[in-house]
Amino acid sequence: MWYQLGAIHMIINAELFVNDLPGQLIGSIEPISLVDGNILGVVHNRDRIVDHRICVNVTFEVDDKQLERLKEMWSARDIVISSLGSVHETFSMEYILIGDVNAQYIEGLLRKMNEATTIDEVNVSYSTKSMKNAAHTSLISVKARYEDNLDKIDQILRRECKKSNITYVRGV
Amino acid sequence: MKVFICGFGTIGQGITEAIMMKEEFFLKRYGKNVKIVGAMDSKSYIVDSEGLDPKSLLDRKKKTGKVGDTDYEDPTKVMDKVEFDVLIENTPTDVKTGGVGLENIKYALNRGIDVVTVNKGPLALKYKEIMDLAKEKGCIIGYEGSVGGAMPIIDLCLYDLAGEKIKSIRGIFNGTCNYILSKMDNGQPFEQALREAQQQGYAETDPTSDIEGYDSACKVVILANSVFGRNVTFNDVDITGITSINADAVALARSNGMVIRLIGEVSPTKLEVSPRLIPKGHPLSIPGTLNVAEISTELAGPIVISGRGAGRMETASAIISDLVGILDKRFGE
Repeated sequence: MWYQLGAIHMIINAELFVNDLPGQLIGSIEPISLVDGNILGVVHNRDRIVDHRICVNVTFEVDDKQLERLKEMWSARDIVISSLGSVHETFSMEYILIGDVNAQYIEGLLRKMNEATTIDEVNVSYSTKSMKNAAHTSLISVKARYEDNLDKIDQILRRECKKSNITYVRGV
Repeated sequence: MKVFICGFGTIGQGITEAIMMKEEFFLKRYGKNVKIVGAMDSKSYIVDSEGLDPKSLLDRKKKTGKVGDTDYEDPTKVMDKVEFDVLIENTPTDVKTGGVGLENIKYALNRGIDVVTVNKGPLALKYKEIMDLAKEKGCIIGYEGSVGGAMPIIDLCLYDLAGEKIKSIRGIFNGTCNYILSKMDNGQPFEQALREAQQQGYAETDPTSDIEGYDSACKVVILANSVFGRNVTFNDVDITGITSINADAVALARSNGMVIRLIGEVSPTKLEVSPRLIPKGHPLSIPGTLNVAEISTELAGPIVISGRGAGRMETASAIISDLVGILDKRFGE
């Protein structure tokens, strides 16, 4: 499946009501494929009937830019959208920094990361400094909307850690 | 089929034993024996164009510490004394110059002799030169055992996945580092884990090549050149070893459901060896001395392969596989 560059990749759970006629279930799913969506699950609730329409719950992945087109297609096929819950997919990465890293240093790093790219969520935790070990260790967990943002964060951390002689361990 | 074994340490002895064990297999498959016509360790040599008794070679090495009864200075002059079809090159690796291994490989190829090697240094430094020479002389060169020991990653990528687009390979290519990091998962400090690895025979007295990531870097280079068709050398790899990984870092990773592993990563654009955070349960989170590789492919998705990365008979298994490959091509199955 291909996603448009710059589009936001979303996971959507839709509750649809389709006419109780043969072919209507397929008719509700087909538009998702037509907008290059990826169907993750379909539940046909034959016991939930409202105004002679049967409830269909469908979960799928799609680019946000295709969503309006999809709604129009459902509308044209006389499919009622009862609810549309969405979740933006985020990309996450963890980094462990080993060396002379204190809260001030991490704050500086986060500022540089924020200036360069958009971060949705950051969590920082520190190890209890071992008596035997002069090095501090911290774990930075980052969530970003786009994979490209993680690449930028990666580049910043790599460069800054090299400059400060700090070992940097990233996730896979 | 006459073979000459260069390097008669653990691996050389292992392949001698394996050739002895596989006598019936070779006879059945090709109707002929594989004869060892020469063997050489760092000081001595022995040659006999009629074939040497493998058991006697092993016994002499065990009793005297030498494979032969004659000392030498120039290995190529020793190899000049006898005709053979395949050079099995297992001399100690040298990642700075390629060492005697590189000279032996070039010598054999120049004589039109096929080569099987597990020596990483020459391949990590002069891969293209060696392959070009082999092509020019019409020789076959097998090097399956140079990456991942018994884990057949090169043949898997080149033959079994022929036609596939391999997007990347990530893996644990050094059992010693993995042993140390696995011990650290259980709270052991780095120095103690390293010492235990040395006492168990997993790490060398000088463990620099393993713990600084140089050994893994050689393997990453071999994969980059052979699987991805790149033209890179050891000096192109971005290397970070595991010496600065401390107990705090391992504990912090553990409390977040992760472990730290030394991962080699190669793709058309990447060439890196570094410690990475791996979620517990991920194929790359394996403990102990095993090697593992995750091959990311276009059609088949991820393929994971694992196996013993080192050891006498494990490496011999890879050499036998290369030898069979050469025999199949030269004499037909």
